[in-house]
Amino acid sequence: MLAKNLANQAEDAAQSDDSACKIIFRRRVARTLRRPIFWPAGQFLTRHARSVAAGIALAATAFLGDACRSTPTPPGAATSAASPHGGALVASIRTEPVSFNRLAARDAASDLVATLTQARLVRINRETHEVEPSLAERWTSSPDARQVTFTLRQNVRFSDGHPFTADDVLFTFEALYDPRANAVLADSMQAGGKNMQVSAPDSRTIVITFATPFAPGVRVLDSLPILPRHKLGQALQDGTFAKAWGLSTPPSEIVGLGSFVLAEHAPGQRLVFARNPHYWRIAPDGGPLPYLDRLTLEIIPDQNAELLRLGSGQLDATYTEIAADAYATVKRAADEGRVKISDVGIGEADTFWFNLKPGAFARDPRAAWLQRDELRRAISMAVDRKAFADTVFLGAGEPVYGVETPANKKWYWTGTPKTPHDPAGAKALLATIGLEDRNGDGMLEDARGQAVRFTVITQAGRPRLERGVSVVREELKRIGVAMDVATLEGNTVAQRIGTGQYEAVYFHVSRSDTDPGTSPDFWFSSGAAHLWNMQQPSPATDWERRIDELMTRQIATLDEAERKRLFDDVQRIFAEHEPVIYFAAPHVYVATSSRVVRATPAITLFPILWAPDAVAVVR
Amino acid sequence: MTRYVARRLAFAAFLVVAVSSGSFVLARLAPGDFVAGSLGINARPETIERERARYGLDKPIAAQYRQWLANVVRLDFGTSLLYDRPVRELVPERAANTAILAVTGLTLATLAGLLLGSVSATRRGGVLTGAIRAFSVVFLSLPPLLTSLFLVFLAARTGWFPISGIRSSSSSPAGSTLDLLHHLVVPACALALPLAALFERLQSQAMREVIGERFVLAASARGVPWSRIVWRDALKAALRPVAAVYGLVVGTLLSGSFAVEVITAWPGLGSLMLDALRARDVYLVAGCAGAGAVFLAVGTLVSDLALAMVDPRARE
Amino acid sequence: MGQVRHLGRRVVRRRTSHGRLFGLALVVVAALAATAAPVIAPHASNRQFPGLLNAPPTWPHIVDDRGAWRAPFIYRWRLVNQLEQRYDEDRSASLPLIWFKGGTLVQSSDEVVAPLLLLGADSFGRDVFSRLLFGARISLGLAIVASLGALLIGGAMGGAAGYVGGYLDDGLMRASDFVMVLPAMYVALALRSVLPLVLTSAVVFTLLASIFAVVGAPFIARGVRAIVRSERRLDYASAAQALGASDLRLLLRHLLPAARGFVAVEITMLVPAFIVAEATLSYVGLGFPDPVASWGTMLHDAANVTVFADFPWLLSPAAAMFLVVLGLNLILQDGTPIKGVARSGAGVRDQAASRLGYERPM
Repeated sequence: MLAKNLANQAEDAAQSDDSACKIIFRRRVARTLRRPIFWPAGQFLTRHARSVAAGIALAATAFLGDACRSTPTPPGAATSAASPHGGALVASIRTEPVSFNRLAARDAASDLVATLTQARLVRINRETHEVEPSLAERWTSSPDARQVTFTLRQNVRFSDGHPFTADDVLFTFEALYDPRANAVLADSMQAGGKNMQVSAPDSRTIVITFATPFAPGVRVLDSLPILPRHKLGQALQDGTFAKAWGLSTPPSEIVGLGSFVLAEHAPGQRLVFARNPHYWRIAPDGGPLPYLDRLTLEIIPDQNAELLRLGSGQLDATYTEIAADAYATVKRAADEGRVKISDVGIGEADTFWFNLKPGAFARDPRAAWLQRDELRRAISMAVDRKAFADTVFLGAGEPVYGVETPANKKWYWTGTPKTPHDPAGAKALLATIGLEDRNGDGMLEDARGQAVRFTVITQAGRPRLERGVSVVREELKRIGVAMDVATLEGNTVAQRIGTGQYEAVYFHVSRSDTDPGTSPDFWFSSGAAHLWNMQQPSPATDWERRIDELMTRQIATLDEAERKRLFDDVQRIFAEHEPVIYFAAPHVYVATSSRVVRATPAITLFPILWAPDAVAVVR
Repeated sequence: MTRYVARRLAFAAFLVVAVSSGSFVLARLAPGDFVAGSLGINARPETIERERARYGLDKPIAAQYRQWLANVVRLDFGTSLLYDRPVRELVPERAANTAILAVTGLTLATLAGLLLGSVSATRRGGVLTGAIRAFSVVFLSLPPLLTSLFLVFLAARTGWFPISGIRSSSSSPAGSTLDLLHHLVVPACALALPLAALFERLQSQAMREVIGERFVLAASARGVPWSRIVWRDALKAALRPVAAVYGLVVGTLLSGSFAVEVITAWPGLGSLMLDALRARDVYLVAGCAGAGAVFLAVGTLVSDLALAMVDPRARE
Repeated sequence: MGQVRHLGRRVVRRRTSHGRLFGLALVVVAALAATAAPVIAPHASNRQFPGLLNAPPTWPHIVDDRGAWRAPFIYRWRLVNQLEQRYDEDRSASLPLIWFKGGTLVQSSDEVVAPLLLLGADSFGRDVFSRLLFGARISLGLAIVASLGALLIGGAMGGAAGYVGGYLDDGLMRASDFVMVLPAMYVALALRSVLPLVLTSAVVFTLLASIFAVVGAPFIARGVRAIVRSERRLDYASAAQALGASDLRLLLRHLLPAARGFVAVEITMLVPAFIVAEATLSYVGLGFPDPVASWGTMLHDAANVTVFADFPWLLSPAAAMFLVVLGLNLILQDGTPIKGVARSGAGVRDQAASRLGYERPM
């Protein structure tokens, strides 16, 4: 062996150490093609090119997923005339709930669990935005809007059979305002900054008194689930209410008035709910509600996995609406009949605002113009909202010109001025406050030669925000305004907003209800969510003072027409000074599997499961 | 020997404390805190202050740190702000899940990597070597996010394996191990492929060097079959670089690879750590970082012992 | 002294193999493409085409519908459905390509309506091919600089630890463990909070390169330490020492180069990891300003299910990364078996042993 190899090597002294067979083969090839034996190109073609070609072919087949696409599963039969009762639904959530006690947890997953297992006095219909009776059959408000009297439904039982009375409502409010319980909803269940007073003249009546006249008082009760005294009363007395009904509680202990009961909890994986046999609502056809026998919430942290499962039929409803980016994939599944997509209307726009706190830019040479109304109006005029909607929401968006959109039929001011796309007018407007292109470089400067340049902060990792802010930057460049974008981490942005360390912000601020009276923190200048200048001891500008007055009156009167008129005035003032600029809002698309025959998709935190008792699947 | 191990353990303990403390302090120093993040921008200042006092976040860093250290000595690692459960419960629960995944992935990767590395080292050229090299470079250059995404995508398309989760909802106790294995395939592959590529490259390199050595020539001249030389003697000598990084690999795997865990919804330590980092949950971050340090210390100790085993020259 | 040097030098010169050449070609092409990006790229990296979001690539054709041969031309894309991002090829008009006009190599004849999109467009309507070229400068430059930095730091640490041993070894290795386990995200966040709000590309580049160099060093340090430790006990090392070589010389000339193969593999691993890590750090705000393209952010934007199924051209940075890393690997980690000396300083080698070759391996 050794000798043979040495002989071979001696023959091809300049070759690398190849096997004998290879050398002979190459010789033959070389002779046929009349090339010298050590033909580098030949070696190139026979050695590493093959490996590279193999690698590229591997990569190519790997990335073209079409090659391995399996045949689509047959579409679910959605045309069932059979009874809608029965069946199971699988939905997804992003994170595990922190607690089964709604008063102890802020996260959305805990809110969803409470929506499924607990009931409230009233329920806001997210399609019509009207208040509907839930545990309270009917209610009357006193003329001064300071008191509401509820008549509770009779013969209602908790999921363990225990009867429901007004005492449980009293208990819930006790727990809500108990300082040891640290209830997270305590701040939102207030009127005029003070707690509500609750009393129960008899076991069927509840009287709630507000410290100041509060017309939307009934609406805020939609977020308060009624808890059982017989299960949690002891914990409240002992001072351990905040820890009650934690994640390790056995499911049989979680008792509520909602449409489902918790059946099983696999930590980190899923929550399984079964129908509540004592649920008090009846279906229109006389059968029991909920329609579903079983509801599973799978914990899927990643949106990609969620979409894949929806597309392959393993999931019936997603956690949130479908973003415009993911629409193409879901549409394909819809074309194959596995998925249904509903367009539920216009959602919420993202917000762009400047720091309008007086003195925020005290020593900054730009203080003369950075907080001026004209700058904001010019920005509003410079951005082509149609192109904005096309780029950020892929055409599935509508221009928005004010705080309310036409989707809010009840409160939208039809006279909202639609700011035209007018870059020339924007430049002229800026010239009136002294911002002109003084040195011919295409960008504006102020009277002292300071460039018109400011920094906007936004949150990283949210495509809507990143795209929106880049569109705005390009549009502003065209009128000569330089905008720098600093994308920061979410918590950092929240902290900067809270402490006022920013020049401008592009962020998403969501509201829970369409009635403006339920967001006093945004409208009042003393509010904690008065974005551009939070928690003012007294209104800093005249127009903010006028808004404060109008809102105070708006909240205090029960007359719907009067409230609408007052709020129209508020919107007019808002449009004049535009402290927050809105550009466009997306169409909201909700996707469900084709098994779901009855659902009421709406623009709300949980598009399908906000009304879990009305969801039905084909069996 | 025992002195060596004792010294290493002492250093490891020091490392764990240093890492936990460092993470704790950094979590406090980073802008924003848990309360600001969880309450959002709409919160009233009184609420913010009250919540901060409740969690102890209003105290100066030094005071909170001393309090935490005093508790740690009593083996109380604090309560997670995000999950409202003791860290002492959360971390081992998730670490067990990650360990299942890590052990499976590591076994697969080691077998595949060493095997393929030896094969590609002992052949000279040819399609097989080129293909193995291309495979390794593909998975070394692909980001782990894309690898896991691609595998999940394949699983969805073919329907052979579950896309995400650790167990199905309808698994009977008898078939639960089988169900777990079924769910384990996609995440373990996502974890194993880049590792196998790394091991293959390292092993191939080292093996090639070893084969050029004199003892191989000597053994061959004495008539020892070539395959035995390769698979018994050369392999052992070539394990040195792999053994050197093995500890790091074990340590980082046990801390959880969050790209894989998030995309395949595997409830492990990596995704726990990511959630804790994002939410600025100081106690959970300190706990997870400490756990990671423990795993790394154990891993490096194991790897150094393994190194001493395969390469007697490296013994002290 | 001369004898020491002779001992250190390889006896047989290693021939440059064709694998190496191919790798070199790949890397050189990548480097040239990156440096010549302003000329080769048809568009600026942040030029957006509003009606062409996620448009597929416009393949240049040379044969038209009637079978005739023509100069290269493209068809334009007509938008069928904007929300679904579906396009149709408009075969009614063919647009020839124009060469060497407007400062770029090649362009379409109607840039406004039907631009040349060799690799399609991304979700902003920007040309992927141009962004790939411009991004190569940033990403490859950053990754290579950071890898060299990691090599320096890790090599120094590992070499010192392996050579000296004892407490220095333990201390250095624990320090490298500390760096590895500490959550880098918080360090980055803390760093970001002390920096000014708006950062220039140069500042971000230096910052990222230093962070990556420090974070990547432990891997290299560990392997180098193991190799140096075992090499130190070999005959040639003691021989060199007996001949009067200083510690530093021994380390630099003989021991560290023995880790060359290991380092080659590590660099192959670190370069793509750094490219991707740049995108991860942009989450905490330490990224390049928006108009600057980089492969990491391109891949991050493309890492979702929709892309795999519908817009696979957005994954071209991954293919480009694969080619570059393959090239690097081919250069550093040669395909042919090492002839003659396995590593430098191994002493005098028997030529016959090197010619042993490899029989049928198994």
